[in-house]
Amino acid sequence: MSRTTFFEVRVLNGKTKEHLCFLDKVEPYSTIGDIKSLFHKSYPHWYPARQALSLDPKDKSLRDEDILQNLPVGTTATMYFRDLGPQIGWTMVFLAECIGPLLTYLLFYFRVPYIYSHRYALTSSPHQVVRLACACHTCHYMKKLIETIFVHRFSHGTMPLRTIVRNCSYYWGCSAWLAYYINHPLYTPPSYGELQVNYALFIFMMCELGNFSIHLTLNNVRAEGSRCRRFPAPTKNPFTWLFFFVSCPNYTYEVGSWMSFSIMTQCLPVALYTLLGFLQMAIWAKGKHRAYSREFKDYPSVRMAIIPLVL
Amino acid sequence: MDISVVQSEDSVLLFVSAWTITEIIRYSFYTFSLLNHLPYLIKWARYTFFFALYPMGVTGELLTIYAALPFVQKTGLYSITLPNKYNFSFDYHSFLIIVMISYIPLFPQLYFHMIRQRKKVLGHAEDYSKVE
Repeated sequence: MSRTTFFEVRVLNGKTKEHLCFLDKVEPYSTIGDIKSLFHKSYPHWYPARQALSLDPKDKSLRDEDILQNLPVGTTATMYFRDLGPQIGWTMVFLAECIGPLLTYLLFYFRVPYIYSHRYALTSSPHQVVRLACACHTCHYMKKLIETIFVHRFSHGTMPLRTIVRNCSYYWGCSAWLAYYINHPLYTPPSYGELQVNYALFIFMMCELGNFSIHLTLNNVRAEGSRCRRFPAPTKNPFTWLFFFVSCPNYTYEVGSWMSFSIMTQCLPVALYTLLGFLQMAIWAKGKHRAYSREFKDYPSVRMAIIPLVL
Repeated sequence: MDISVVQSEDSVLLFVSAWTITEIIRYSFYTFSLLNHLPYLIKWARYTFFFALYPMGVTGELLTIYAALPFVQKTGLYSITLPNKYNFSFDYHSFLIIVMISYIPLFPQLYFHMIRQRKKVLGHAEDYSKVE
């Protein structure tokens, strides 16, 4: 019968090197996550999500799943702590980012006083396309909220508070900017009239359905469990057949939604917002595509990142 | 289209001279660095002259923008109004005011960055002179 060697963990402040905490009788198969919980007991205001522990002050922080005895340390481990600042979980982040645009757009649609000239306060635009645009925009963000609450399965990751302020300013600000023009008393309806609006509306709806289908599919891929890792593949749903051509069809559909919304409203700010969104999503898609290609040896070579056959 | 009424303002002389001196020193610094033969004088000048030149340049720029504002407002320079086919508008006058306000957070950041760089770059020289 052998005795388990217990580890000792000494936690120092990464910047000042001052001694913060000494943990003894730590099980060798504890994870970094366990150590963070123990550290949290001594410092209640530094909850685990806020902690970054590393073996060297200059190193990248250790992952929560890393196991203590697998690290290159003796039985006494010295770790350096860094405070990441207040953190917010991904669900809260998404909710904050979606609820803003949804509500700010409505402020402009109902022409809340002091936005436009006093004469138009609390009226609504007579154009049918403006009503349609409000419905589309609202449905887009309601769909996002529903997905955030019921569909998406986020990893335990969090985001620093400062990033959330920056992201929300961007999303809320942009939706206010484009809502201002669409609901303006001097708004000019699309040049090709109902034909343009109806075609664009149809494509918008197809892209929204497509985006939703992809999110459901990705959800099921995750559900299969962490033991057998598979990459997402087309299913019986025709919307998912875009997986034959791209790694991130959810981003492709999202760009499609916003492009059709710009054509439907014929509004340059919407087109500019679409361009910015496309640039950001292309970067994310390329990253994901690279990760998939590296992880899976049998990854289909036909697939591009975000635009079929092109990017 | 240019704002000729503003070109003869004193503020223009202020920032043009500040920038001219800065750029001559800065590009000499880069050139000599590339040739691996940087005279200490150039390095010292680059990290010392900015104490005066930077505020001079910023003051000149801000005064010039301020002088141009009435003209921009009167002529609607670079501005697009509603209604138009693409449902877009841009007010250059408001844009210039926002630019002027943005100097308030940005100038201190850049200024203190230069001061920090100076400590890092010129700090060594003090150590060497002590050794000698």
